[in-house]
Amino acid sequence: MASPPLTSPARTTLQLAGLHCAACGGLIERALRGVEGVSDCRVNAAAQSANILWDPARTALDRLVQAVRRAGYDAAPATPAAARELRRRESRSALWGLFVAVFCMMQVMMLAAPHYVARPGELAPDLKQLLDWAAWVLTLPVMWWSAAPFFRGAWRGLRARSIGMDLPVALGLAVAFVASTGAAFQPTGPFGREVYFDSLTMFVSFLLAGRWLQMRLRHRAAEVLESGLAALPATAFRLRPDGGIDTVPLAALQPGDCLQVAAGASFPADGVILQGHTQADEALLSGESRPLDKPAGAAVLAASLNLGAPVLMRVDRCGADTHLERIVGLMHEALAQRPPVALAADRWATPFLAGVLLLAAGAAAAWSVVDPPRALWVAVSVLVVTCPCALSLAAPSAYIAAAQALARRGVLLRQPAVLDVLARIDTVFLDKTGTLTGERPTLAAVARIAPSVHREDELLARAASLARWSTHPLSQALAAAVPAAPQGPSWREVAEQAGLGLSARDDAGLEWRLGSARWLGIDDGAADPAAGPRLWFGPAGRPLLRLDLDEQLRPDAAAAVDALHQAGLQTVLLSGDTPARARRLAEALHLQRALGGADPARKLDELRAAQSAGRCVAMVGDGINDAPVLAQADVAFAMGHAALAARSAAGAVLVDGNLKGIAAAHHLALRTRRVVRQNFAWAALYNAASIPLALAGALPPWAAGLGMALSSLAVIGNSLRLAR
Amino acid sequence: MDILYLLVPMSALLVLGLIGLFGWALQTGQFDELDREGQRILDIDQASGRPAAEE
Repeated sequence: MASPPLTSPARTTLQLAGLHCAACGGLIERALRGVEGVSDCRVNAAAQSANILWDPARTALDRLVQAVRRAGYDAAPATPAAARELRRRESRSALWGLFVAVFCMMQVMMLAAPHYVARPGELAPDLKQLLDWAAWVLTLPVMWWSAAPFFRGAWRGLRARSIGMDLPVALGLAVAFVASTGAAFQPTGPFGREVYFDSLTMFVSFLLAGRWLQMRLRHRAAEVLESGLAALPATAFRLRPDGGIDTVPLAALQPGDCLQVAAGASFPADGVILQGHTQADEALLSGESRPLDKPAGAAVLAASLNLGAPVLMRVDRCGADTHLERIVGLMHEALAQRPPVALAADRWATPFLAGVLLLAAGAAAAWSVVDPPRALWVAVSVLVVTCPCALSLAAPSAYIAAAQALARRGVLLRQPAVLDVLARIDTVFLDKTGTLTGERPTLAAVARIAPSVHREDELLARAASLARWSTHPLSQALAAAVPAAPQGPSWREVAEQAGLGLSARDDAGLEWRLGSARWLGIDDGAADPAAGPRLWFGPAGRPLLRLDLDEQLRPDAAAAVDALHQAGLQTVLLSGDTPARARRLAEALHLQRALGGADPARKLDELRAAQSAGRCVAMVGDGINDAPVLAQADVAFAMGHAALAARSAAGAVLVDGNLKGIAAAHHLALRTRRVVRQNFAWAALYNAASIPLALAGALPPWAAGLGMALSSLAVIGNSLRLAR
Repeated sequence: MDILYLLVPMSALLVLGLIGLFGWALQTGQFDELDREGQRILDIDQASGRPAAEE
């Protein structure tokens, strides 16, 4: 991938921290748009990332990060190393807030218990005072540490003149704390004698528990995504100047370090081989499935596998600068797009929150006429109970959980929105070569067609040794099928005629040929059109051996097609191969239709025809060859390695040709749609039922807090079912 | 019952102390990766302190 010239706008993804709702996303978008040189900015609150289009000539990445920090959030460039560090910071602070809240809540509950169990007059006034004071002391840490995110969020919103989800919560907490404090220290004062420290701490704990669960879900999804790509070793073996070897963690590596890499281990960093000669498997990074030769001086990539021999390497780039980390970054960016359902929910958040504040103020005003002492508590209940957390979590939590579950099953989604379309598909188009069958043909049968002095296995070994001179797929298949003999014949004057075959002279000067029937000088007109490709081998004009090659079905192809049929999907085979061969394969797999002899343009026509007939089509193909067809399909699955997800036109990638992933993804998409609907229904029902109760004063603050927290937990719990 | 006037403040102080203890444990990274601690016992290479390549 060529990097764009510096004068053109750059697109960068920042990993954000500290967001709790869609409204926060709006604040960050506004802050970033205010930076000179930023032309566009989209924040995804669910994935906590910002996608920014900016002009490198007019501003710098630092300024963007500072703008986010000034708005009161944290940001780091979305490289995995930075994202991991951000995740660690975020998880520590969330755990701290949650622990303080829950631990103090338990103690405050103990201290509050006498209020509930004592009969009137049983609790001495000074003992009640003492218990209230103790509860107040234990509520302080909760307000100071655990509730701080809500106050910060509300303050940020106010400064930017917008209403965030934190504002009603912060307002409710502040009013309850101030009123309870007044009641605890001056029972005869204006706030009455009732204290609500127990409701307060419980509300904070449940709210934080919901956010903590959501954060864990997000972090897990990010981790699964990263590990789906490739695994770096946990430690590296670094050579000391005196020749000794230190075991060091990857984070301690620096460019210029000299490392020892064992055979079978993966390279810990990008660099150059100093000593030794090996082969490396870079399949996960480049999609190239053959081992690459790596002599001394060759460049190696982090996370590629060292197959051949132990080598010494020099580190050139490590940590966030490696090729691997850039690919992971692209994957993060891909997942950062917001699903349409969540966009709709975001639009409604602000008017809804404004309505909540008005309702709370109205309720307080009305109750201050009817029953002044209760006015404050009714307002607190309304503020707390209407927090639309459940509503805002309904869609994103389900999508993230589903994406995580699919990543574990070998299906990487390019964007969560793919799930929306996936739930609607009714037809699956499958490509043949490279999708249902392996990428390379295999040797199926060998036939001797003329008598000769050589034994058949001798001839086969001879053919294979000649085939090793060529990179043609059929030659490679033949070479792979026969183990290399220790002393093969020595060929001279090896020549390759494109489209025909190979020719070479043996020690005796006889010319041997390997290739098509025409190359060997015979007529193969009667060949079965459903048969696979054939090779002929023998001295020129006198073929001795016929080699039948055939494509091999992937082991899970039949089961995967069955699963698609069971899900009620139609299957169509598209192949560039002859119609007879396509039909034969379709019959073997019970595919419902087969279209053979189709070039990419014909495949595209077929796809468009199905789409104009009102069908929603998923296309499964080879990531690179079928790019135009994949781009036209409603959902595209590319076979291949995870790195392709960031590059190909496909919406999803089946890692390592895992065909069963298609049916699994469809099934999960249907479940996700169901779960999102359940979540929305539940959240809407909860708000619709609880607001009238709170307005009527029938909901004490503790019940409001419990209800709100439980509704969020219910939504997250429901979504979590998808992650399994 | 008078003992409560001593015990209640003491329990409040104890709770604050425990919160401080947890904060220390958190800051030293003891809760960062709970899974890895469980798996460490199975990790031969690290336990022996020797690179696997030299064996």
